[in-house]
Amino acid sequence: MRGIRRRAASGWTDLARPDGHSLQDGSRIAVIGGGPAGSMFSYFLLNMAESIDLDLNIDIYEPRHFRHRGPAGCNHCGGIVSESLLQRLATEGIHLPSHVVQRGMESYTLHMDVGTVQLSAPGLEKRIAAVYRGNGPRESEPTELISFDGYLQQMAGERGARLIHRMATGLERTADHVTIRCADGHSDTYELAVVATGINSHFVDLLCGPMVPIRRPEKTTTFICEFHLGRPLIEEILGDSMHVFLLDIPGLEFAALIPKGDFVTLCMLGDEIDDALIEHFFAAEEFRQCFPGGVVPPRACHCLPRINVSTARYPFDDRIVLIGDSGTTRLFKDGLGAAYRTAKAAARTVAFHGVSARDFEQYYWPLCRAIDVDNRIGKFVFSVSGLIQKMRFTRRAVFRMTATEQAGDSARKRMSEVLWDIFSGSAPYREILGRTLHPVYIGSLLWNLVAGNLQPPRQQAPRAESRGH
Amino acid sequence: MKIPFINRIRTGGDEPGPECGPATDTPALWIHPEQLTKLPPCQMHCPNSGDIRGWLGIIAQREKTGLSLEEAFERAWLRLVEFNPMPATIGRICPHPCETDCTRGDKDGAVSINAMERFLGDWAVERDLRFPPAPEPSHPESIGVIGSGPAGLSFTYHMARRGYRVTIYDRQAAPGGMLRYGIPSYRLPVGTLDREVRRILDLGVELRLDSDVGAGLSLETLRERHAVIFLGIGAQKARGLGVPGETGPGVYSGIEYLRARKEGEPVELGATTAVIGGGNTAIDAARMARRDGAEVVLVYRRTREEMPAIEAETEDALIEGVSFELLAAPTQIIRADGKVSAIEIQRMSLGEPDASGRRRPVPVEGDLCRLDVDSVIVAVSQEPDIDEDGGFPDIHGWIETGEDGRIGPGLWAGGDDRGLGIASLAVSHGRHAAEAAHAELRGLPAPGSQLPRTPARPGVKPDFYEGHLATSPPRRPEDTWLAEPDREITETLTPEEAAYEAERCLSCGLCIGCDQCWMYCNAGGFVRLNQVGPGSYYAYLSDICEGCGKCIEVCPTGYLSPRAEGG
Repeated sequence: MRGIRRRAASGWTDLARPDGHSLQDGSRIAVIGGGPAGSMFSYFLLNMAESIDLDLNIDIYEPRHFRHRGPAGCNHCGGIVSESLLQRLATEGIHLPSHVVQRGMESYTLHMDVGTVQLSAPGLEKRIAAVYRGNGPRESEPTELISFDGYLQQMAGERGARLIHRMATGLERTADHVTIRCADGHSDTYELAVVATGINSHFVDLLCGPMVPIRRPEKTTTFICEFHLGRPLIEEILGDSMHVFLLDIPGLEFAALIPKGDFVTLCMLGDEIDDALIEHFFAAEEFRQCFPGGVVPPRACHCLPRINVSTARYPFDDRIVLIGDSGTTRLFKDGLGAAYRTAKAAARTVAFHGVSARDFEQYYWPLCRAIDVDNRIGKFVFSVSGLIQKMRFTRRAVFRMTATEQAGDSARKRMSEVLWDIFSGSAPYREILGRTLHPVYIGSLLWNLVAGNLQPPRQQAPRAESRGH
Repeated sequence: MKIPFINRIRTGGDEPGPECGPATDTPALWIHPEQLTKLPPCQMHCPNSGDIRGWLGIIAQREKTGLSLEEAFERAWLRLVEFNPMPATIGRICPHPCETDCTRGDKDGAVSINAMERFLGDWAVERDLRFPPAPEPSHPESIGVIGSGPAGLSFTYHMARRGYRVTIYDRQAAPGGMLRYGIPSYRLPVGTLDREVRRILDLGVELRLDSDVGAGLSLETLRERHAVIFLGIGAQKARGLGVPGETGPGVYSGIEYLRARKEGEPVELGATTAVIGGGNTAIDAARMARRDGAEVVLVYRRTREEMPAIEAETEDALIEGVSFELLAAPTQIIRADGKVSAIEIQRMSLGEPDASGRRRPVPVEGDLCRLDVDSVIVAVSQEPDIDEDGGFPDIHGWIETGEDGRIGPGLWAGGDDRGLGIASLAVSHGRHAAEAAHAELRGLPAPGSQLPRTPARPGVKPDFYEGHLATSPPRRPEDTWLAEPDREITETLTPEEAAYEAERCLSCGLCIGCDQCWMYCNAGGFVRLNQVGPGSYYAYLSDICEGCGKCIEVCPTGYLSPRAEGG
C-alpha cells in the first residue's frame, strides 16, 4: 500500500481540509445507480445517520425500471443469494418476502463427463436461493413478481431516499461539491457521489480517467440466458437444485442452470465468453441431457453481461466512493454479498468518519482489499480446478470422492464442501484453499485418484452405468 | 456402494411436457437492433401529414444541437411551413386530430400540438419571417389557381416555392375564402390571416380579386392562359332544408350570415333565432348570433354524439348560452305578417346507422311542435358553387379527382370542392396536388408517400419519461366572450410554455439522443456522431453488436427496433 499512501501525501492533502470532509445536517448525497449496492447503501446510511441524529438527503439516480421485463429492467446476473446474506439483511430490517425469493436451493448437481453427482447443502447457513434481478425474462408473462433489485430500491425509497429517474452521464468535482450531470441536461450539486452503477453501463468508463484519477475494474464477458420450461417440468428435471457443469471446454470456468419459477437461468462464466464458446457448450452432451429429449429449448431472453475480474484502483477519492461492482466484487460469485459488504462499509465510513479520500482509505479500502486478495486466491483455486477439469483421470478422482462422500454418512465431506463453497460462494476462497491443503483432503484425493482410475474406463456405456442405481 | 446419482433425465415422448417452444440445437436467435424512423401517431392522424415530431424536436433538443431558443423557434417554423404555409391560421382553427392519439395522452395529456403550431405561426408573424426564396431559375409554366381559400393558397405556396409563377383568381374582394368569410374573428382574427396570406403572395404571386370564374371569365380562357389550373373553389353554396317557407325574409344561410357579419353588414335576427344544423358552420353561426344579442336555439335532427362540429366549439357554444334542441327537424317555417314567427319541428329518434356510420334520424309519428323564433339560420350543408356555363367539365356537386387531386391533364382540384373537410385537409390537398403537378410538368416520377411505414406506437415507452402535465392554451374569462364579440378567446402560448410543451414530445419513433443505447451497450455498438440533430445522434456498428437486444428495450422512443432476420 505504499502507492496509495504516496498519493495521499500529495494529491489528497491539497483537497483535504484540516477538519476533513464530513457530512453535516442537510448534506446531499448522490447515489448513481439504483441496484442493490446503491439501494443498500442508501438504506444503511439513512439508518446510521438517524442513529447519530444526522439529517441527510439522498438522491438515487436510476433511469431504468426494474419492473420492466427483459434485460433493460434487469441487472444481469444469475441471481443467487446465500442464506447468510438473507440472514444478514434480516438483521438490518430487510426481510425479503417469499415472492422475491424464487426458489430455495437444497442442493446442487455437478455434471461432469465422468458422471453426475448431487451435493446437498453442507449446512443450513450454506443454503442458497435464486432471485430475479429484474422483472423476469423478456416476453415472460406479466406477474406480480418483484425483483430483488426492485424490492431493495423500494426499501431505500421507503427509508427516505429520493429516486431520480434520470441517467447520469457526467460528474464534476470542486473542493466542496460534486455536480452530477444527466443526459437530459439536468444537473445538481452534492457533497458526496456514491457510484453504484456496476460495470454494465459506461458510467464507470466515463468517470474513471476522464473525471477522476481512478482505474476502473477490469472486466470480462459472460453469458446469461433464460429458458421457459414451466414449473412442473422444472420440478421434474431440475428440482430444487442448481446444476453446475464442469466441462473441459477451453475458456469456460463453469456454467450453471438455476431454476426459477417458470424459467431456468443459464450462466456461463469464464474468460470472454463468445458465440463459439456458447455454441460449444450448447452442443455438450452433459448440458443437452438436462432437457427432455436431449434438446435445448429456445432461449426466452439472453444477455452478455460483464463481470469484474479486478478491483478499482482505488475505489474512492475525495467525495467519491465506488461501491458494488463498480468498486470490487467477489470473483465469479456472491456479487450480491459483496454489494452488501461494500455498501455497508461505505455507509459506515460516510456516516461516522467522513467523505475524504483519507476516510475511505482508512475505513473502506481494507474491506475492498480483503476481497481483492481473496479473489487472487480464487484465481489460483480456479486455475487448479481448471487443471483438474482438463484431465479425465483427475475428474474421475474428484467425482469418485464426491460421490462416495454423498453416499456415506461421514460428518466431514471434504470434497463436497470444497465444491459447494467454490460454486455457491458461501466461503472465502482463502478458506477453501486452506481446506484443500489439509492432509486428509489430499490423502483422500490421492486415494480416489488411484481407485477411480484402477478399472479401465468402460467406454461402451459409461454414462448408463455410472448413473446406475 | 449406493451412490445417489440423479437419473431424472426424461427420455421424451412419454407425456407432453409444458410448452418449450420449437426445439433447437443451436443457440437461439440473437436480437440485433435497427435504427428505423417510425410513423408517429400525430403525423399519422394529421390530414396534412405534418412533420410535427420534427419541428417539436428542433425545439426540444435545441441544447443538444447548440441552438438558442430563438434559433430553435425559427428553425422549427421553417420545418413546419414545409407542410403548412399558414401555421398561425391553422394553429387557431384546426380541431387537431394530431393530438387525439398522442402517446403522451394516456400519461399526462397529449402534447398541445395545435397551440404550438399557433405559437410558431405568431412568432413568425411578429418577426415578419419570410419563406426561403424560390430556387433559380424559375420554371416557364404559368399556373392558375381558382379560389384563394386554404387549398388554393397551399397549392399556390407549394408551386411558388418550386419556382413557378402563379396567378390566383378569386371572386371575393379579399383573399382567404372560408378562412376569411366563414370563420368568425373570435376564432381567427383577420389580421393574422392577412399577414400569413401576404407572406404567400410575397413569393411573387399575382392575386386577381373580384374575378368570378364562370361569370365573365371562362375556365377555357384560363386554361389557355396557364399550363396548370388548380380548382380550389370550396363549397360555397348553402344547401337548403327543402321545407315550406324557406325562402323569404328572416331566413339566412349560415355562410351568408357569417360572411355578412365579417363584412360588417347588419343582419336583422330579432330576439330569438333558430340555427338549423350540427356542423361547424351551424355552431359558428349560433355563437355569432349570440354576439348579435339574439337568443339562440340550435336545432339538430340527431343527438350531440352525432354532431359533426368540433366538440370544443360545441362546448363553448353552450357556455355562451346557445340552447340545443336535439332530435328535432324543421318541417316548415311559419310567418306572420311577412315576418318569421315560428318553426314547426318534427321530433326524431335514432334508427339504424346510415352510410356515414351515424344513426339515421327517424321521425316520431305525430310528434310535432312549434318553436317561436324571429329568424332562422340554415346551416345544414354546403356544396361547390359551380356555374356550368363557365365551362367546368361535367361537374355536378363534388369534384371527382385522383388521390393527388388530378382531374385531367393540367387540371387539378383540392379542398372542400372535393368533399367537406377541415382546413388542414384542404392545405394537404393543395400540397399534394402541387407535388404531383410539379412532377408532371417536369417529367419526374409521381411523388410517392414520404411517410415512414412502421407505426411508432408499439415501441414507445412513456415510462422512461418524466411526467409533465400538458399546458392548455390560456383563454380569456368566459364572461368577457360575448362582451368583446370580435376578440379572440384563446391566447397564444408564451415562449416558455412553448419550449416546455415541445419538450413534452416523446418523439415517438425517432432518436432524441438520450444516450441510453450507448450507455447500456456492453459491446460498445453505438458511436456518437460528430454532427448531431433530431433523429441523428448515434451510429450503430453492426459488426460489434453482440445481439443482446438491450438497446431496443431501453430506447424510449422506439427508434431502435429488432432487425428482421436476414436483414
